[in-house]
Amino acid sequence: MIPGSELPTDLERAPLIIEEERAVEVAPSKVPTTPGEWVRQNLFSSIFNGVVTVLSAAVVLYFGFQLLRWIFVSADWAVVKANLRIYMVGRFPLEEVWRVWASAYLVAFLIGLSWGVSGLRLRWTPRKAALRAVLGVAVLLVLAYLLEGLRIWILTLAIPATVAAGVLLGRAGSRRLRGVVIAGWVLVFPAIIVLLRAFDGVPPQVWGGFMLNVLLAVAATFLSFPVGILLALGRRSTLPIISKFCVGFIELFRGVPLVTLIISGQFILPLMLPPRMQLSLIVRMILVFTIFSSAYVAEIVRGGLQGVHFGQYEAAKAVGLSTTRMMALIILPQALRMTIPAMISHFIGLFKDTSLLAALAITDALRAARRASAQLEFIGDQKEALLAAALLFWVVTFSMSRWSQRLERRLGVGER
Amino acid sequence: MASEMELVGTEVEAGPEQMIEAENVKKWFGNFQALKGVTTTVKRGEVVVILGPSGSGKSTFIRTINRLERHDDGRIVVDGIELTDDIRNIERVRSEIGMVFQSFNLFPHLTVMDNITLAPRNVRRWPKAKGIEKARALLERVGIPEQADKYPAQLSGGQQQRVAIARALAMEPKIMLFDEPTSALDPEMIKEVLDVMKELARSAMTLIVVTHEIGFAKEVGDRVLFFDEGLLIEEGTPDRFFSNPQNDRTKLFLSQIL
Amino acid sequence: MLSLMSEAAVERKVAPPLWRNIRVLRGFGQAVFVVVVVLAFRELFLNLQFGLDRQGQELNFEFLRQRAGFSIKEGISYNPNQSFVRALQVGLSNTLRVAVVGIVLASIFGLIMGVARLSTNWLIRKIAQVYVEAVRNTPLAVQLVFWYVAVVLALPSGVSGGLSIWNVAFISNRASVIPWVRAEDTFGVWAIFLVIGIAAALAARSWRTRVSERTAQPPRRFLWSLGTFLAIAAVGYVVAGNPVRLDVPKFVDRTYEGGAQLSPEYTALLLALVVYTGAFIAEIVRGSILAVPKGQKEAAEAMGLTPRQQLRLVVLPQALRIAIPPINSQYLNLTKNSSLGLLIGFPEIVSVGRTISNQAGGATQVLLIWMATFLTLSLTISFFMNLLNRAVTRRGERR
Repeated sequence: MIPGSELPTDLERAPLIIEEERAVEVAPSKVPTTPGEWVRQNLFSSIFNGVVTVLSAAVVLYFGFQLLRWIFVSADWAVVKANLRIYMVGRFPLEEVWRVWASAYLVAFLIGLSWGVSGLRLRWTPRKAALRAVLGVAVLLVLAYLLEGLRIWILTLAIPATVAAGVLLGRAGSRRLRGVVIAGWVLVFPAIIVLLRAFDGVPPQVWGGFMLNVLLAVAATFLSFPVGILLALGRRSTLPIISKFCVGFIELFRGVPLVTLIISGQFILPLMLPPRMQLSLIVRMILVFTIFSSAYVAEIVRGGLQGVHFGQYEAAKAVGLSTTRMMALIILPQALRMTIPAMISHFIGLFKDTSLLAALAITDALRAARRASAQLEFIGDQKEALLAAALLFWVVTFSMSRWSQRLERRLGVGER
Repeated sequence: MASEMELVGTEVEAGPEQMIEAENVKKWFGNFQALKGVTTTVKRGEVVVILGPSGSGKSTFIRTINRLERHDDGRIVVDGIELTDDIRNIERVRSEIGMVFQSFNLFPHLTVMDNITLAPRNVRRWPKAKGIEKARALLERVGIPEQADKYPAQLSGGQQQRVAIARALAMEPKIMLFDEPTSALDPEMIKEVLDVMKELARSAMTLIVVTHEIGFAKEVGDRVLFFDEGLLIEEGTPDRFFSNPQNDRTKLFLSQIL
Repeated sequence: MLSLMSEAAVERKVAPPLWRNIRVLRGFGQAVFVVVVVLAFRELFLNLQFGLDRQGQELNFEFLRQRAGFSIKEGISYNPNQSFVRALQVGLSNTLRVAVVGIVLASIFGLIMGVARLSTNWLIRKIAQVYVEAVRNTPLAVQLVFWYVAVVLALPSGVSGGLSIWNVAFISNRASVIPWVRAEDTFGVWAIFLVIGIAAALAARSWRTRVSERTAQPPRRFLWSLGTFLAIAAVGYVVAGNPVRLDVPKFVDRTYEGGAQLSPEYTALLLALVVYTGAFIAEIVRGSILAVPKGQKEAAEAMGLTPRQQLRLVVLPQALRIAIPPINSQYLNLTKNSSLGLLIGFPEIVSVGRTISNQAGGATQVLLIWMATFLTLSLTISFFMNLLNRAVTRRGERR
């Protein structure tokens, strides 16, 4: 095996970027000079290629046209518009929705702040500028259709404004704010829970919609992190009983479909908990997702631990560190750093998996879509309703996976 | 019990003349016996150079001295402390022995300064300022005071190895172990590392060096040990060892590397 | 002085205090761990038993012998008067049916898309990329519901026959019907010929290898063995006198006759699994080929291999070795994801199990059955993939 050529075994939960010189050329190696040259090289390099190009262009044009016509002419997006609130927050009471907005601003501000502190800037090439302009206009158009009333417009536009404020503050503070950002991300999850629940807040039973998908994924990732690290350390432990136990735990929960765990969380878990400790369905789901996720986090961390050279263990021991200190100060910092991209991918996978809540009586984004298209006036609008749900997920996961790719490239050329 | 501990303590204070005492040390890796009974003693302040072909057990031997490898049979006593399954003894011995590896093994996620101050601050519980002061002095001593805030990957191999020496010295050890410290270096960097080691050898430090650098052995070594197939075959002063080897295998080895 | 010290040391070795002895500590730590785990499990188990007692349920598998009483629309033969056990068997068969077919189709589809991702044709590359990015970044559950509700159920009504594809296959919201091959009585005779054909093909293969080693002719092993096999199979076909029959479906009297009928649920689940998993496999295929370092190809080039040989002998074997472990885990994912059939009412083992526990309780036992089923399936798939991996690795080493 060539070093560094192993792929992550679980692609669904691990990214795939190989920044190495390739044995197989992807694109023509000669840089085309004129548009005509480019077309010849990329589309009509041989007769066969020309035929393929013409045929696939015809198919793409046909379906593209049909799709556009459907989106702008035949489709009835009223189902989305009428149910927008259900999509986003489920049955969350209207007079308490400010709590959700506040949480969103908190997260938006943190995103902006991290971005500002990281010192990353958007690169503007003419092509990227055009792409972003088109994207911006599209988003505005969609919002123009969906949002009605000045209040909601102000609330929505305040989100990019908060991000921008974060960026500006982050740039001003630069490195000095690094600790603040890290503390912010650690504290943001408990803070949101407090925001939603405190001062006669909203109990988990009525959380719902896309907000619930996001919250559940974040909660499970956050909570499964320490458990996963312990499991990974346990699995690599030289103590045979502990190691076997961890292997069993990890393999059991990785080998079983999440749906079965969700169903068990609904029916069996309440029986297993002490009678005094009755948890609501959503809290139980957080527990189920945490257990499920920790098995995967453990494997990711194990991969990171394996990536740490054994000389690091020896050097740490040789300078006199105890096992605990060696792990905490030397091994884990290096291992976890390597796992960041895989962790993001895992989060993306988990986030997508939260749509399995639709199997229960919980109104997540997917179930919201199904309920919306079951309403009398929107019968037959399933396509629209489901595509809206899909788009919600897609926007978040796609941007996260892009960000993860950038991050990985940066980590790759960093201080390692 | 308490009186016995005190007794041990006073012994350490007084300091036996024998720094390291190894008696019939054996080590197996599965079915392979890496050490077949090694017996030797190292005196306080002595500079011992260990030679031998690869796979002769020389690295394994010095790694048993600070318990990176657990010896399966025999006895090892370091500065009056016997290496047993007693976890406190292992920690005490390790903080008295500094080790320098072939592949440097610097901590890549820490700066040079943090690499050096990590152990004193966490094991010896030094205050931050004292650690930094000590680290600056050590970096001065190994000749790279200006690199304190860089990361290991930004340094050349020779510089990295000198940082590794400084890191080991920061714990103020009584013994330094060197496991082929120059084998992974480009030729032009070997000298800068050897110079630092020679300076150490001339101080009162006890040194055990596994190396192929014959020049180093001749110049500062007090004694040369020759290992082959898990056994200590021959030992003597560098003069006698290199000019008049007794054992056939030693002669063969010397003829190959000289 | 020296001997005195040594004796003291020996004494210490004999009796290192227990609380500092590494071995004692390790044993003690594990003992504590076992006790904690056992206590925790005991607590969970007692709670469970107490809860079940209150519900009047018992923790054994006896209830599975009861009459099922619910109908299952597809799968191996079954009627509601049979037991829960039989219902679970039907569910398992449906799981297998969708998983096996899904794995085969997803591999083919993923391979095509992965190669398309590496095409020199810009348009093809982009189409494949859009597919991968769209599918990978949306939840399978959403896709599945979309396929089911918005595509399969939105097909033309089955009452009128639905869409006819040249009158040999039909697609409608009631069923997809495709031509199917059925064995006749004489199939056994032909089967013997087929086995002989495989053996002869293997013999031809090793014969060509020897010939090529002796005479330095190109071996053309594949052509020769395929030809041998086809020839023997053809002879057998004639001897057995049409051992198989192509069963082409017809639309008669508002119903489909003949062919293989696939329920809308099966079609939707299969489509969703193939499209979703295909995107991941495409990425693996692409990534594995790109992961072979450039130096490997340059070395092959320097040895004078033609571009085709470079690909076949150097790049692809290495890429395959890289690809097998992640593809294995995609197969496992596909199998586990077949449980999403629950969302659209496809009667695979999870939805059958859920129906049972809704009806007769026993959720714990059903969970154990699910776990056993999926762990067995996972181990089986991994076993075969390991065989493949070993075969590929060994061949790589021999060359």
